[in-house]
Amino acid sequence: MSYVHPEYLVDTEWVAAHLNDASVRIIESDEDPLLYAIGHIPGAVQVDWFSTLQHPLRRDFLTREKFEEVNSNLGIANDATVVFYGDKSNWFACYALWLFQYYGHQNVKIMNGGRLKWEKENRPLVKEVAAYAKTTYSAKEADKSIRAFRDEVLEQSNAKKPLVDVRSPKEYSGELISMPNYPQEGATRGGHIPGAVSIPWAQAVNEADSTFKTPEELRALYEGKNVKADGEVIAYCRIGERSSLTWFVLKYLLGYPNVKNYDGSWTEWGNLVDAPIEK
Amino acid sequence: MLLPPKLQELVDDFASMTREEKLETLIAYAESFPSLPDWLKGERAKMEAVPECMTPVFLFGDKQPDGGVRFHFDIPPQSPTVRGLASILANGLNGCAPEEILTVPADFFLPMNLQEAVSQQRLHGFSGVLAHMKHEAIKLIDKK
Repeated sequence: MSYVHPEYLVDTEWVAAHLNDASVRIIESDEDPLLYAIGHIPGAVQVDWFSTLQHPLRRDFLTREKFEEVNSNLGIANDATVVFYGDKSNWFACYALWLFQYYGHQNVKIMNGGRLKWEKENRPLVKEVAAYAKTTYSAKEADKSIRAFRDEVLEQSNAKKPLVDVRSPKEYSGELISMPNYPQEGATRGGHIPGAVSIPWAQAVNEADSTFKTPEELRALYEGKNVKADGEVIAYCRIGERSSLTWFVLKYLLGYPNVKNYDGSWTEWGNLVDAPIEK
Repeated sequence: MLLPPKLQELVDDFASMTREEKLETLIAYAESFPSLPDWLKGERAKMEAVPECMTPVFLFGDKQPDGGVRFHFDIPPQSPTVRGLASILANGLNGCAPEEILTVPADFFLPMNLQEAVSQQRLHGFSGVLAHMKHEAIKLIDKK
């Protein structure tokens, strides 16, 4: 058994062999914004989930026009193969990939294992910031089929369709409002969306080298909790970054046709007046 | 009220920097992050944990013969931002008396305008590290 869409994943060896491939752009996207400056894969550019990808004022992502400008400045062409990698088991790499897909970039991949595996294999890291000639980039209309908003999350919950809560067990139970060891802020209520099953995101990756688990393991993990390919699935976490990794796993590694990431996640739901909560 | 002089100087410096300069300076601090002295290696149980940080952070305050406190940090290299922020605090407060450390307000860093360089959530870690440096300072007040 293999992943359903293995073309969305490359290994470190593939990246090492394509460092000078003009049709490939490698993007580092980390939780810690300084890691890129400390050392990155030769030729890689940086996209920061916070300062690059967020709207400067509203709680939303950057606009389509701004996204075009970011890509143009990074020298990314519309037909480029964009490979994402990052720290923390590729959390933020998956988040960036999801957003690139949201604005219609087709050819995207995750480097399996991310920064951790690359470092463990003693592959080169450089400080020199890569610069490329500007491109003319045109993004597509935002693809709402991969992004869930609060009203449809409520409909999903009422219809008892699958919702996957990928936060830690204590966040799911409502004991904590944020991850253990993270600041406990952001929501005034704890718990989970009624009907959501708890499948913490980290269960999809191998701790030792940050690679994704095998297709068999992944299938057993999600199907075992009744999250199956034939339904519409919505994944959420606290701000939508951990759930974008789960979205990637369900959408591409397991090939579920209809998966959305609810980026409003618990920091919206746990503050939303009148929203139903289960503990 | 003014902060301890070295910390005040750092806050003023950051306040006058552009976003890029802030990032560069933070990187420089992360890169000059001092390694843990041998006598504290593997001694996390002795150190103060900082659960507010997004990263495993441990710190230890050591009172010097002159009464000033010297802080040591154990933070993984995969977290340069936290290393950088801890380095700023260590540079600003090393050598201060415990009583002086306790006067630093939790929001001392607001004038540095760091939120334009690092996310708001991360700055909570900054207050977290300071709070635990204060815990260490309290333990050291009466220690000779």
